[in-house]
Formats: sequence, C-alpha cells, structure tokens
Amino acid sequence: MTEFDEAWSVSRLARVIKRRVEEDPTPIWVRGELTGVKHYPSGHWYFGLRDDTAKVDCTLWRSAATQLRGPLVEGAEVFALGCASVWEERTALRFNVSQVIPAAAVGAQAQAIERIKQALLADGLLDPARKRPLPAFASRIAIITSVAGAAVHDVITVARRRWPAVELFVINSAVQGDGAAGELRRALRIACRIDRIDCYIIGRGGGGKDDLAAFNDEALCRAIAACPVPVISAVGHQVDVTLADLVADVRAATPSQAAEFALPDRRDVAARVAVLGAALSRALQSLASTRRARMERTRDRMAAALIDQLRRSERRLLTAQARLAPALGRVVESRRNRLGRLAAQLHALSPVAVLGRGYALARAPDGRLLRRVADLPAGTGFTLAVSDGAVAARVEES
Amino acid sequence: MTDVPTLGDDLKRLEEIVRRLEDDTLELETALQLFEEGVSRLKAAQVRLGDAETRVRQVLDDSATGDGPLRFESLDA
Repeated sequence: MTEFDEAWSVSRLARVIKRRVEEDPTPIWVRGELTGVKHYPSGHWYFGLRDDTAKVDCTLWRSAATQLRGPLVEGAEVFALGCASVWEERTALRFNVSQVIPAAAVGAQAQAIERIKQALLADGLLDPARKRPLPAFASRIAIITSVAGAAVHDVITVARRRWPAVELFVINSAVQGDGAAGELRRALRIACRIDRIDCYIIGRGGGGKDDLAAFNDEALCRAIAACPVPVISAVGHQVDVTLADLVADVRAATPSQAAEFALPDRRDVAARVAVLGAALSRALQSLASTRRARMERTRDRMAAALIDQLRRSERRLLTAQARLAPALGRVVESRRNRLGRLAAQLHALSPVAVLGRGYALARAPDGRLLRRVADLPAGTGFTLAVSDGAVAARVEES
Repeated sequence: MTDVPTLGDDLKRLEEIVRRLEDDTLELETALQLFEEGVSRLKAAQVRLGDAETRVRQVLDDSATGDGPLRFESLDA
C-alpha cells in the first residue's frame, strides 16, 4: 500500500472544491469596476469585476438580466449582488450575479431618499411624539400587501394562534417594481375606508431583498402619516430601514412580528381575566367579612348602650318612687281634711239639715214651693216634706 | 363606531370595580351592584376568549382611484 493508492480522482477534487466554495448560499454585495463585458444572444451576460488588486469572473443569467435597468457598460463602477460558484467542468470560479446596480444610481437614490426624509422631518412626520400606541385588543386589522406573497399567510397563522377572534381585511397591492408605490397608496386609501379598523399592517413577506423603493415613496409616507389609526410597517428587511418604517407608528421586522405586536396572546388575557375574577370574589368576601365584623361591633355597642340606658332609667324610677310616696301621702291627707271640712259645710247648708231642725217644705203637686197664703186656697192638695220624708196634705180653711 | 364594550373596556372596568370594592367605606348597596356588574363583565370577557375562527376577507375596489364601492371576498384558506 502506497500513498498513491489513496490519490483522489480529478472529479472528486472538483466536487470538494465546489462544495467548499458554495457552502454558504447567502448572496453578498460586491463593489467593483465592470471589465470584459459580453452579452450573448442567449441573453446571458459575462463580465469581470475588478479593483486595483484583484479580478473575479462573473455571470449574469438571462433570468436575472431581465431586471437590469440598462445594459452593462464597460468600465462602470457597480454594485453586484451574487454568490460564488464553481463551474465544475473547468473548476473555474464564477461570481454568479443576480443584480447589478450602477454605483452612480445608488448614490442618486440615496440622495433622493435623504431629501424626502428631510422633507418629512421638516413637517414633523418623523416626530416620535406622533407615534400612536397600538390598541390593546385589536378586533379588525387591515393588511396591505401582495396576496401572492407570504405576508398574509404569516399574519393569519399568528392571528389563529394568538387572537382568533380577530377579523382580517386584506388589500392587495404590488410591493415592488414600477407602480408599486402607487398601488400601495391606493390600497391604503381603500383600507382607510373600511369601518372600525383598529390598525393597519403595511408590508411584504420576507425573502425579497432588492427593491424597497416603493416604501421610500414620499406620497406613500405622507399617506401613512395621515392614517386615522396606527400603522405597523413590516417591510421585512433587517438591514435597510425604509422611510415607511420611519413614518409608521410601529416598525416590525416581519409581517408575523407585526401581527404579534397588533394582537394580544389570548393565554395572557385569559390569565388576566382569571386574576380579575379571583380578585372580584376576594373583594366581595372581604367586604362581607368587614361588614359582618362592623355589624357585630355595632350590635354589641348598641346592646351595651341599651342596657346602660335601661339601668339608668331604672335608677331614676326608683329614686322618683322613693320621693313620690311621702309626697303623695301628704297630698292625700290634705285633700282628705279639706273634703271633711267641705262636707261639714255642705251639711250645714243642706235644706234637709234645716228640716232636721223642725222646718217643713210645702210643694204643689208640680213640685213648686208654696211660700204664701195666696198659694194655698182652701181645698188645695199639697205635699209636706219633713226631715225623714213627705206626707200628702190638704188646706181645710184659708 | 359601535357602543358594545370591547374586551379592553370590560377588563378596564373590571379592574376599576375590584379597586372600588377594596374600599370598605363603600355603601353595601353600591358594593353589591358593582359586584353584579363585575360578574357579568367577567362572563362577557370569558365568552370573548372562547374559541373563534379567524375571518379573512379580501377587500376589492374595482375603481382605478381606490374610492369606488368596496367588495369583500372571503379569503379563508
């Protein structure tokens, strides 16, 4: 066995190199000067990117080439987005480009965005004090995005998990490419006409990394600022912050996160409701026991006061009685004496008593007193009252 | 705008009711009324937390300007 027995085949070497180079598929932006630009009838572009010390061969396939704003110009300074790959047949390294933007355009675009930003700032639209809080319990949310994208699905998934009672209204709009800004503005206008919306989510699904221009549109930003309820932006781009993000009330990294911001988790709310329910019943119990204790205290105090009062009344009664008895005796005695005197006087004045002394009263049958001889002609019948009764009499001679 | 209290309204009111009930100088009559209201709001909140199906509708406007009549089409998956 020699070291040659383990020699690699060329294909194996090529495969390993390819695998190593293509390990990380994340596209990267590279800045360089275009050199050796060739455009083939097939639609593919071949060119090199160079700077002062290095050069890399690049390919731009026809599928990606359709998005070019203009032909690639020899010697132009560009930003190219791509991944390193290996052409196996020759084990040749190629930077496989998906997008090329002239550096001059990037500069111009950045300047345009900055100008809009300054205008929005000047009008106070980026003022943090303008940011409105999201509703605690959104029941109707409008989503402005492309129905073809993943955003709608992501929001629905989060809503079903966190707060299924929510109603979602989707307004379709292109989110990139020419005309997207206009469509987004139109969709926002439609969203603003739906009744009782609690907040808007405007954005696009993750994945798209290129064209954010629509979300830097000045008119769209102003429309977002003018919305009657809070707006969450979810442009789904970690690195670049768009002007729409700056003007929105809340910026979410993704549509899913936007839905999480907009909707409470029903488990949290259920826990809060349970806590409140317990607090309510505890409050009533505590109230009842406080009342009972207070009532018992009141009852005891009232009973004590009542007994106290009864005792005092009793004492007063006894005292009064003790003073009243002799006084009453004296009054009775004096009345009795007076009565005796009056009775004696009365007796003395009574006509009956006078009769007792030998006088008699003559009365006509009608009870009239007969006082003179003229009252008694001969033959007159009359009664004669004496001290112990009366007798019938007649005048014999007048 | 609707006058039906939202879950948020219910929870806020419930918190207020509990706070007021904890004040033991409250008239008993008032306390009982508050408690009854608390129970009904609690029930309403629990109902709202019950199972519900998320409704998804696409809002369409056939006008070019976005100010024509709105159409709602179910988008439930």
